[in-house]
Amino acid sequence: MRRLQFLYRIWVLCLKDMKLYYFKGPTIVMGILMPLFVWLAFVAGRGFSFTESLPALITLASFFASSSITPIVMPWEARQKSLEMLLSKPVTIYIVLLGTALASSIFGIFISSVLVTIGLLLNVIPRDLISLALGIAVSSLCYSFMGLVFSAIPSDVPADAVMLSSAVRLPLIFVSGIFIPVHSLPHYVKPLAFISPLTYFSDLIKNAYGYSSLLSPSIDVIALLLLTIIFAALALAANKRTLTRRL
Amino acid sequence: MPLGNVVEVHDLVKFFGDVRAVDGVSFSVRRGEIYGLLGPNGAGKTTTIRMTIGIVTPDRGEAYIMGYNVHKEPVKARSFIGVVPEISNPYVDLTVWENLMLVGEIYCVPKRIRVKRAKNLLKMLKIYEARNRKAKVLSKGMRRRLLLAMALMGDPDILFLDEPTSGLDVISARMIRSHLLELKEQGKTIILTTHNIDEAGMLCDRVAIMNRGKVIARGTPEEFKIRFGEYARILLCFDREIDAKLIRKHFDSYEVIVQGRRLAIICRSKDLRDVLEQIVQVTNEYSLSIEELRASGLNFEDIFVRLVEGLG
Ligand SMILES: Nc1ncnc2c1ncn2[C@@H]1O[C@H](COP(=O)(O)OP(=O)(O)OP(=O)(O)O)[C@@H](O)[C@H]1O
Ligand SMILES: [Mg+2]
Repeated sequence: MRRLQFLYRIWVLCLKDMKLYYFKGPTIVMGILMPLFVWLAFVAGRGFSFTESLPALITLASFFASSSITPIVMPWEARQKSLEMLLSKPVTIYIVLLGTALASSIFGIFISSVLVTIGLLLNVIPRDLISLALGIAVSSLCYSFMGLVFSAIPSDVPADAVMLSSAVRLPLIFVSGIFIPVHSLPHYVKPLAFISPLTYFSDLIKNAYGYSSLLSPSIDVIALLLLTIIFAALALAANKRTLTRRL
Repeated sequence: MPLGNVVEVHDLVKFFGDVRAVDGVSFSVRRGEIYGLLGPNGAGKTTTIRMTIGIVTPDRGEAYIMGYNVHKEPVKARSFIGVVPEISNPYVDLTVWENLMLVGEIYCVPKRIRVKRAKNLLKMLKIYEARNRKAKVLSKGMRRRLLLAMALMGDPDILFLDEPTSGLDVISARMIRSHLLELKEQGKTIILTTHNIDEAGMLCDRVAIMNRGKVIARGTPEEFKIRFGEYARILLCFDREIDAKLIRKHFDSYEVIVQGRRLAIICRSKDLRDVLEQIVQVTNEYSLSIEELRASGLNFEDIFVRLVEGLG
């Protein structure tokens, strides 16, 4: 019963975040326009066909979309003064954060699915739909928790968290094998590639669309799961730590 | 936990850096009473409430709601309470109705009851007509009533209200007060903080007075009046304005409040004679004439000021 109520409350708060944050400016800019522009600039602009560059677009879109909502919710609600009202209800900070993480990852899953579907309509058929679906689901959750880590900065200006998360997200896309293969990266950035969830997801997606990949899909998924757990633990602990300073 | 106490707080302590915001506060609240935490700005009332409901972790001490330790079982403990924090808002981008439904869902209230309860609350608090408006367009008074409705969506046994009437006009404040008395009639326990001493005197069954993080006095408003029964308050109105400095010099061993032509002096009843003699002397010396003179016991506000300033 208690466990069911725990899950139900997470879902209720997830729906609240979907309603309130999917159509906010920062979500649209960082979650939809940003990946599109990066893709246009670095992939489509170089004369690749849509078919060839779709995997990169899915990788970018899922990454930016899933991590676009989690950084802003806590600062936003602290600023609006609804955070304390919410926390005084029968929820814990963990329930609140998990609801947000879920909403953010569903946003990423939705955007990625739209792109996969567009691909299907244009006859870009993945050869391994199951690992693609699994990869999208796990990596979205992973990115979403990664974004949640940034929401812990004790500021009630959502732009601060967006700025900080962008400062980390933008460089990550260049070291994760999307544009430059990991093996041709300079040796001092290779460790970064290793801890970036994007590396495993882009590897998995290349494999799913029949391009050559570094690791097997199951290893990619396991790596993503591990990173998800690490980011989730970090995000929950960090946000709990800075909570008092927000009130 | 003794029978009948729905809230128990033991020795709460909270530091913010070097600031000792709350310093060993204990109190307990009986079922069905209105309990007031009073104190000047920065006394630690809000921090005490936040620790009591479990959203700020104390450095020391414990709080229990209906027997549940709020820091060990926060969700269970909070399912018995409704809270209106000091500075808080509903979700401004949701409508009044959506805000209530959201809170009802968080309290796991079944849909049918949720809808019925929301309607009743909105009607009782007179915001039913605004149910489809976004919360951001509501006036301050309506917003406060919405927050109260949201606090009541889980049909809680206990209500925590941090400054329920601050910033409201007299009429809205009265409306909130009458709702609180109504809720007490329904058997709810209410814990509130306020700066408004008259309000506390009217509403509260018992109060604790806080200053600098400590409870410095507690009891019923009547007990305070009895305790300070030996004091008297003399109110004078002269025919023209008086010089506060000069007057204070004459009455330097008493608490004196000067406002234009008005003068209030607080003294012990046994000194009343001396004070009256002084008044006559002052009146003659400055050729004033007295237009009004009244003597009474201390009101609750006088008592509060004396306690906080360490005068009694
Ligand atoms: N989050 C916080 N961070 C740092 N200091 C805080 C914080 N919250 C409260 N304080 C400090 O703790 C002390 C008590 O504050 P608190 O808000 O509990 O008082 P209060 O009695 O509610 O005052 P008021 O009547 O003005 O609402 C104050 O000195 C305040 O500056
Ligand atoms: Mg306060």
